[in-house]
Amino acid sequence: MNGNDAAHAATGVGQLNALIGGLEDKLAAWAEATSSWLGTTGKVTGTGIDKFIRPAVAGFMSEENSLLAGAGFVAAAGLLGEERSYIAWWQGADMERVDALANFSPQSTSRYVKAEWFKVPMATGQPHVTGPYIDLLCTDEYVLTFTHPIFRDGEPAGVVGLDVTAQAMERAALGILRQIGPYAVLVNAGGRSVVSASAEVDAGDVATLAQGAAEFPVGRQFSIYSATA
Amino acid sequence: MSLSPLGASRSLAAVFTPIKSGGLVDEVCRRIELAVESGLLPSGQRLPNEVELSAALGVSAVTAREALSQLRGQGLIRTVRGRSGGSFVTENSFPSASIAREKLQGLTRLQISDLGLHLQAIAVTCAGVAARRSGPGDVEALEAYIRPGTADGETATPFAWRLCAAEFLLEIASVARSARLARELLHLQADLGTLTLLPFEDADFCESTAELSGAISAAIGNHDSSTAEERTRELITSTTSWLLAEHSRSQR
Repeated sequence: MNGNDAAHAATGVGQLNALIGGLEDKLAAWAEATSSWLGTTGKVTGTGIDKFIRPAVAGFMSEENSLLAGAGFVAAAGLLGEERSYIAWWQGADMERVDALANFSPQSTSRYVKAEWFKVPMATGQPHVTGPYIDLLCTDEYVLTFTHPIFRDGEPAGVVGLDVTAQAMERAALGILRQIGPYAVLVNAGGRSVVSASAEVDAGDVATLAQGAAEFPVGRQFSIYSATA
Repeated sequence: MSLSPLGASRSLAAVFTPIKSGGLVDEVCRRIELAVESGLLPSGQRLPNEVELSAALGVSAVTAREALSQLRGQGLIRTVRGRSGGSFVTENSFPSASIAREKLQGLTRLQISDLGLHLQAIAVTCAGVAARRSGPGDVEALEAYIRPGTADGETATPFAWRLCAAEFLLEIASVARSARLARELLHLQADLGTLTLLPFEDADFCESTAELSGAISAAIGNHDSSTAEERTRELITSTTSWLLAEHSRSQR
């Protein structure tokens, strides 16, 4: 790699860091706002949650160059009532409400508690990125779900989250990846390809770092492999 | 009027197919039927009222009212008047074998075998790609759907077996990480509907399904695409054959 290429690569890594880190920061700020709203709210109701969450989602979705397929809030059991979950999640430009019937189901909690995007942030108290995975609950797409725990009285009370399709990520990231190199691949923590500039690797494949290739961390959980084996 | 030398593409015909009215009401009904069928809304569960339903699904109150009335007509829900009233999922709303049998009789052999072929094309492709792409945790996820979980000493119902088998195929599509194939599977499973309940009344069929699913899951874990494809083909063929045999038996 000559000096010029290295400079291009560094710029590319910086841009992808800004792209993914930007999403993570947006989510963190929203989680904090949601936690403090919960702190000043007495009895939490479904209508109250909708009123607080929906405008925020509408705002995210209408931002220019928004990467989001959807966003929302999922309450942990206990926030609205014992053994009762609640989902306030919208997707698409026309703000389609997701999985709304679940709010009337006594089994609603079991649909989420085992899902990685709910389970991990609730258990660790830390933000988490799930996927890319096939999301059959909301988008029916190959997506990344960024979730962040929210707290009430210091206890995790649910998560707020953002869905970004692998397709949207490719539109935003492929040009930047190519700047880094013709074989550069954006991978998740497990080495699973999210966006690939390489003809050898498709999104969804497991990529292996080539010998002597560079690995650059991006955001909290992703990496860029400059070349794959 | 000029046409290209090849004539208009046959696929264009779909564009000019009339859009059916009443589609929204049917769609709301289908969602609720699906929620009941999948156990999300169990027997006796109170349904949202018209206003709640229309808000939740983003349709007009008129559409929601019509949908509820249609579901009432189907016997899926019953409505109780008064203060503690509302619409409730009826006791016998579970997809019953007799309804499924009736549905099977309404189909031709041709429809059954063609549906089977379509399902096979999708499922086998998923299995092959899944074997190529499987990673840590994927086999565990597949294994969860080899047989339905039961409390000690209890046998699983055909209903539980059917849900489990449907989830197993969807999990293969998830491991393959193809959104299009997963959506296609969902559509096919909706088309098959309760039909797939019938073979699971047969204990031998349940066992051979579990055995094949175990083999598929192992092959996917071992990155053995050809075995995964072969076993998946057997799995789908066994369902189609069972349904065709049952179809013949009951018409004799």
